[in-house]
Amino acid sequence: MIEFSHVSKTYKDVKALDDVSFTIEPGGVTGFVGPNGAGKSTALRILVGLCRATSGSATVLGVPYHELERPAHQVGTLLDAGALHPGRSGRETLTLGAVALGLPGPRVGEVLDLVGLTRKEARRAVGSYSLGMRQRLGIAHALLGGPRVLVLDEPANGLDPQGIRWMRTLLRDLADAGCAVLLSSHLLHEVEQVADHIVVIGRGRVLVQGTVAELDRGGGLEQTFLELTANADRSAR
Amino acid sequence: MTIPFHRLLAVETRKLFDTRSAAILTAVLLCVTVAAVAGRGLYAGPDMRRLVWTAGIGYSTILPVLGILTVTNEWSHRTALTTFALEPRRWRVMAAKTIPPAVTAVAASLFAVLVAIPATALTSALRDLPADWNATPAAMAGWTATNTLFVMMGVALGALLLNGPAAIVVYLASTGVWNAVAMLGAAGETAAEWLDLNRTTAPLATGDWAHADLSRIAVSAALWIVIPLLLGVARVSRKEVK
Repeated sequence: MIEFSHVSKTYKDVKALDDVSFTIEPGGVTGFVGPNGAGKSTALRILVGLCRATSGSATVLGVPYHELERPAHQVGTLLDAGALHPGRSGRETLTLGAVALGLPGPRVGEVLDLVGLTRKEARRAVGSYSLGMRQRLGIAHALLGGPRVLVLDEPANGLDPQGIRWMRTLLRDLADAGCAVLLSSHLLHEVEQVADHIVVIGRGRVLVQGTVAELDRGGGLEQTFLELTANADRSAR
Repeated sequence: MTIPFHRLLAVETRKLFDTRSAAILTAVLLCVTVAAVAGRGLYAGPDMRRLVWTAGIGYSTILPVLGILTVTNEWSHRTALTTFALEPRRWRVMAAKTIPPAVTAVAASLFAVLVAIPATALTSALRDLPADWNATPAAMAGWTATNTLFVMMGVALGALLLNGPAAIVVYLASTGVWNAVAMLGAAGETAAEWLDLNRTTAPLATGDWAHADLSRIAVSAALWIVIPLLLGVARVSRKEVK
């Protein structure tokens, strides 16, 4: 459902992504894990056409995102929970998306319920929201069109432990219903309990990918992750 | 196939009014209009055309700023991430963004005319002077067209610079710069007469259609509206959204 094929991205002299290839099948959650600055956000933005790859291609449902018919109905995205207008209410933020997608009015209430934001909270300006509430609002926005593919960049950032558990259940349910979910995180433990597959990225390269069981080399998943990314964080550049 | 244009237009119209700052700006616009028209009436007498133009003093700043912010807000608050994920063909979003500010300029102009009618009548009664109903439809149409051109200049500068403060500074400074250019001898004078949108539209704004040179208006509008808008749309279409 999602395919990265030899995607590279170069900014002036920095190689943000280097020959990234991986595939995501429907009905599963894929964790896209790597240290800060590893290239996760760049990869996801290339996937939905907000940035251009220097070489290689990224496709969703077989075609580049911008060639999809009704892309936002098919692919729900949360790319940055901070990228919301602070002076707009949560409900209005969702209503703008619902109007754009031609969805009936009650859909906004449905996704609010789905992410556990109350009507009272939804009336408030987003500027007064905690990061966790913004994440919930962003996930609600991604779910508006009832997408088959979900692309979430660091959705667990700022969520409290209850929130993380809630998100885990939500994503699991969506995947069980046949969705393909791609979520990024710089924290392995946020994704290892929900993901079926893990793609580990460091310094713009895919270091390893596989099922959670495959990547557990005896010492636990975290040990594998730390060993792989030891020389791949920002400070090592 | 994707989002029909009328829905993009509905979204961009909502965005113009659905934030806290937009609500404040709208309230300021309405209050300034009423205050300016009524205040001028008490001071200058029941001269309807003059009362309407007084509202234009505020409009020449507030409306272009509205035009600028409608474009630059997407980048300062980074909502462009959502906007262009919903509609990857970015030029369509930009096309939809140009229309609501123009309609707002027309509506604001109409509002000023509507406020000026009772203000003129009231002033006439209060000061016991004959009301001068000199605001002809032609004059009001010219004035409205001028307001619309300037809000479009704001949209165009916002699209080109994608930075609210920078676009506002360029907009506000442009008048002064042209006044300086006009003082640089005959060549400067000619340049200002053809390229300064303030100068070329001045007869239009006062309803003096006989002296409005449409070719000069077209040249200055191309320079300050059409070209920056096209360059801005091209820039937005290529820009990496982060």
